[in-house]
Amino acid sequence: MATEGMAAPARLARARPAWLEGFLGQLIALLASLGIALLLGSLLIVAYGESPVAVYSAILKGSLGSADGIGYTLSIATPLIFSALAVAVCFKGGLFNIGVEGQYLVAMVTAAWAALTFDALPGPLLVFVVLLFAMLGGMVWAAIPGILKVKTGAHEVVTTIMLNGIAVSLLAWAINFPLKFTNAPPGQNVDLRTDLFSDKALIGDIGHYFGVTPGAHLSWLLFLAIAAAIVVWFLLRRTRLGYEARAVGSSPGSAKAGGVSIGATQLRLFLISGALAGLVGMQEILADKGYLGQNYVATLGFTGIAVAFLGQNNPIGIVFAAILWGVLSRGEVTLQIQTEVPREFIIILQGILILSVVITYQIAKRRLAARQLQRAGAAGELEDSAAPDESSGPRGPETAGSDAFEPADEGGR
Amino acid sequence: MPFTDIAVAIQISLTYFTIIYLTGIGGLFSERSGIVNIGLEGLMIIGTVTGAFGARFFTDTLGLGQPWGPILGLLFGALCGLLFAGIHAVATISFRVDHIVSGVVINLVAIGLARFLSQAFFGQATQSDPGGPHLAILNIPLLSSLPSGLGRAFQELSPIVIVAALMVFPVWYVLNRLRWGLRLRSCGENPEATRSLGVSVPLYRYQGVLLSGAFAGMSGAFLASEVIGNWREGQTLGLGFISLAALILSNWNPVRLMFFAWLFGFAVAIPLRLNDAPVISLLPDQFIRMIPYVVTIVAIAGFVGRVRPPAAAGKAYEGGGGT
Amino acid sequence: MRIGDGAGSNGSPPLVVLEHISKRFPGVVANDEVDLQLRAGEVHALIGENGAGKSTLMRVLYGMYPADGGRIVVRGEEVKVASPRDAIALGIGMVHQHFVLVDPFTVTENIILGEEGGSRLDVDAARQRVAELADSYAFRVDPSAVVEDLSVGEEQRVEILKALYRGVEILILDEPTAVLTPSETKDLFGNLRKLREAGRTIVFISHKLDEVMEIADRITVLRRGRVVGETRPADTSKAKLAEMMVGRPVLFRLEKPTVEIGEPVLRVRDLAGEGKLNGIDLDVRAGEILGVAGVEGNGQRELAESLIGLRVPASGTIQLDGTSIAGMPVADIRNAGVAYIPEDRHDQGLVLNMTLWENSVLGRHDDAEFSSKLGVLLIRRIKDLAERLVRLFDVRARSIDVTASTLSGGNQQKLILARELETDPKLLVAAQPTRGLDVGAIEFVWKEILEQKAAGRAVLLISAELDEIYALSDRIVTLYEGKITGEFSPDAPPERIGAGMLGGAEQEVA
Repeated sequence: MATEGMAAPARLARARPAWLEGFLGQLIALLASLGIALLLGSLLIVAYGESPVAVYSAILKGSLGSADGIGYTLSIATPLIFSALAVAVCFKGGLFNIGVEGQYLVAMVTAAWAALTFDALPGPLLVFVVLLFAMLGGMVWAAIPGILKVKTGAHEVVTTIMLNGIAVSLLAWAINFPLKFTNAPPGQNVDLRTDLFSDKALIGDIGHYFGVTPGAHLSWLLFLAIAAAIVVWFLLRRTRLGYEARAVGSSPGSAKAGGVSIGATQLRLFLISGALAGLVGMQEILADKGYLGQNYVATLGFTGIAVAFLGQNNPIGIVFAAILWGVLSRGEVTLQIQTEVPREFIIILQGILILSVVITYQIAKRRLAARQLQRAGAAGELEDSAAPDESSGPRGPETAGSDAFEPADEGGR
Repeated sequence: MPFTDIAVAIQISLTYFTIIYLTGIGGLFSERSGIVNIGLEGLMIIGTVTGAFGARFFTDTLGLGQPWGPILGLLFGALCGLLFAGIHAVATISFRVDHIVSGVVINLVAIGLARFLSQAFFGQATQSDPGGPHLAILNIPLLSSLPSGLGRAFQELSPIVIVAALMVFPVWYVLNRLRWGLRLRSCGENPEATRSLGVSVPLYRYQGVLLSGAFAGMSGAFLASEVIGNWREGQTLGLGFISLAALILSNWNPVRLMFFAWLFGFAVAIPLRLNDAPVISLLPDQFIRMIPYVVTIVAIAGFVGRVRPPAAAGKAYEGGGGT
Repeated sequence: MRIGDGAGSNGSPPLVVLEHISKRFPGVVANDEVDLQLRAGEVHALIGENGAGKSTLMRVLYGMYPADGGRIVVRGEEVKVASPRDAIALGIGMVHQHFVLVDPFTVTENIILGEEGGSRLDVDAARQRVAELADSYAFRVDPSAVVEDLSVGEEQRVEILKALYRGVEILILDEPTAVLTPSETKDLFGNLRKLREAGRTIVFISHKLDEVMEIADRITVLRRGRVVGETRPADTSKAKLAEMMVGRPVLFRLEKPTVEIGEPVLRVRDLAGEGKLNGIDLDVRAGEILGVAGVEGNGQRELAESLIGLRVPASGTIQLDGTSIAGMPVADIRNAGVAYIPEDRHDQGLVLNMTLWENSVLGRHDDAEFSSKLGVLLIRRIKDLAERLVRLFDVRARSIDVTASTLSGGNQQKLILARELETDPKLLVAAQPTRGLDVGAIEFVWKEILEQKAAGRAVLLISAELDEIYALSDRIVTLYEGKITGEFSPDAPPERIGAGMLGGAEQEVA
């Protein structure tokens, strides 16, 4: 062993606790990326002849400055919380569930069916059953890529994207045939939908307790979403399943060596993710509209991915990220009414925000890795993975960690 | 005319073949260089709105008339697609962002950006005025004279259909007979080996991704101007994802892609025309639309042959990892 | 032992001179004032143990690392080799142990990539050129074959041809025969002889003494970054080479407890699989430490993984106290009483992103002691365990809440050790347990392993470090190319064990 001399005691040089470094680092990275996004956004605002400060503060006021505004914002955030949680749960386990999009569509169909079929049940029980069927629908749709992945190794990115496409057609079929609303007027241009659910199937508005207009449809789904976030946090941090999931997602080899079954863990994650995805559409059909129509709100699954990354795939972060997204989305209306800037600016800003978050995270991750390499060296020993290994290929310490061309196969956090 | 229905269905399918094939070729260049691109749908969307604008702008506003007006319109759509794909390129190549995440962002932003541009171009957020200019349609020689109504399948097609059909030749040639193609493919199969031989991997990957934007953008422009006649929000109908499916099924091979692009084009065409045909009338339209997706899943699950992505791109398909 | 005097086998002036080359990495001196001379038309073997610095030295020559000291002289002129491109321009090429070939491409495409000779590919002309090149050195390879379909030996030929195609005169081969079958090795040697006849220079990095004696014209021996000898096959023997390579004073000896050795706890018979394991037989008894000595790459990893359940062997039996455990899932094998110190603590040991306390319970996290029936982790108990482990094994960390990645390698290993030994295993499988550790940590780990022996447990120690083998083992076996090639007592001199590790079959009954 060609080590040099006696090593210093293995205490690390700096006196900052590691968790703080991680958390602080994340916070700084997040704020930095928010700053960058806002900065780039202001360029566009200026092009429209408006003042960035004025525009941004108008958005803030519109979304958070009044009870109504907050109501709308939270109402937008609610389904996004479910969606992002669904993505994050899988992500922690090293899986990419892009299929939330399709899972919530299927869930809306199963929920609609339940709402119409079990109509005879009393109110609260009916709602419970409908939500249950929503979660079941999502779980079934998520189980497909899960099983395929575990049994055949099929890439879940591809299978979930395909299943999204199938789900769109499935929903279209459902409201065209089995669930088509009775007494539909004849003709091609009818807005297709299911029958209206009876009132007792709907999820009650809570806005009126807070002075929020009923138009915002702020329902107690919000509480359910926050509860879900807490449950997911608990699941990931305090249960065996969460523990195994994180181990598999972070270091599958070590997990396996520790006796964890990778396939079983992955399947469980898909199921939980599917259940969460199932609730994404409930705001729409049980609070906003009271039926499932062909003009259902789409892209909530993809937006969930964006929110998940904004929130660093952390349940608490996701709640805040969803609210931030809601603030921005609500800002579309504010922009339209109060400024010359078109409402589409918002989604461009959101896009810039996601990209800057993800890029900043990549940069931060690599800095951290480089610093850890330095520390290990300073402590008197260098891990063999970074030291010149007699039998390894054309890689050396200078190139370690700069994995030049592999597409980053971690998905960022 | 006994075969008119089928003929018309084929005619429609050729049009959708064009869209799917062009987008698919774009995806092919990107993925074979090693960058997964699930943002094809978004790139097409940008192509639709800018292509519709370009066609009008060059033909009417600048007064270039036929055929240069529509051609420049198509090229404009391609250019805008290319620029938009630049975002994906910079994010994934220079910043090593996960390819899937970047693709999702591309898709999300495209929708809003399209509305944004639509406002700027047409003064309306979700569509442009119908009846935009397009290339003069033609009949394919010889084939359009087939008897029993079959000839109908090859009549009244946009010249771009022919362009797409012939595209396989230059694409195959470039990939297999040019140094550029060899190097591009090696970036996708083994970037380490490529680099060890002194070839710049980022350089070729940038080119691959930008090309995917150009092709998908052109395809979208074609859809908006040549097929439908105007821009309308949502008119891409998931065709970007269907192109991805066709690309995967074809094993990233431009020749096989022709078959799958046409097959899926046909699947799109059936509900539009063949509803009364024997077996098909038993299946609701919506189920027919599912066919491309179902077939792809079955294929990659290994039930029918093995699908093999370019090795470096395949890693990204294996899904994200890490906490 | 003779330090090289530069007089080559054919008397011509040296083509390449490495003068006082030094190369340091953080904490490690890989090359320490190394002098080496290469002549035209010779096969020059560079031998030494793992970590001796052979690959590093050649990578410096190939431009992959800058040297920290010394200079490189090529054809009489001092040069700076800043990158592999510079090296190739100077006529120096290197074939690494892990090939970099594009699998779906043909042999020809792989060879011409980057040197295509124009923007259009003339496939036929290229194929012709490759065929001619191959013929001229008697390389049997089909230019149109797809690399994916090639055998390892053929792939290697492609890598060599890649270098030759670019006109290299000095070819560095890093452990070329590590992946070849004996007949492929024969073919390779034929090729190398042809290259030598044509005036090329081959640098042959290896630890396989048989082959070195067969093919080399001159041999340079490195040990711990220094040249310890330069000689010729005619002037030396395998035994002498082995001594040069491995002989050194043992770092320190620990008191080995006297324990009565009991019945075999582990019985392995005919374990085989995947070409890396070719029929292994061994026994480990209670209270005994069996040292498996061998250079890495001879089946150690596969053996360890088979024992813990990470790998299902193709054939053979593994019996733990009479129960057959081959092919059982990891969790069951662990429950049966096997603990595992992995070779790679990042890939098979710790989850770096998790905290110390989370890592300390990996493998036992589903025990009733640490998680409730509903699956909720009993954090208090886990943390208690973690604190105890950290204290007992002196794991230096700020708290048990830090992530494992912040620990130094030594402390990471201690954590793994603590975790595994806490389970009171019947059998401890320890693979390269002190790799990358500083001396203090090594001593600690050794003490703990000896404690296991004192407690009457069975220990299978797999190590490439002879120091370690000597310090701990009650019995020693050597592993070479997937087979046990010899059994020794710890009194056996290093040359004999070294020879067993390096290919010569020796038997000495304990």
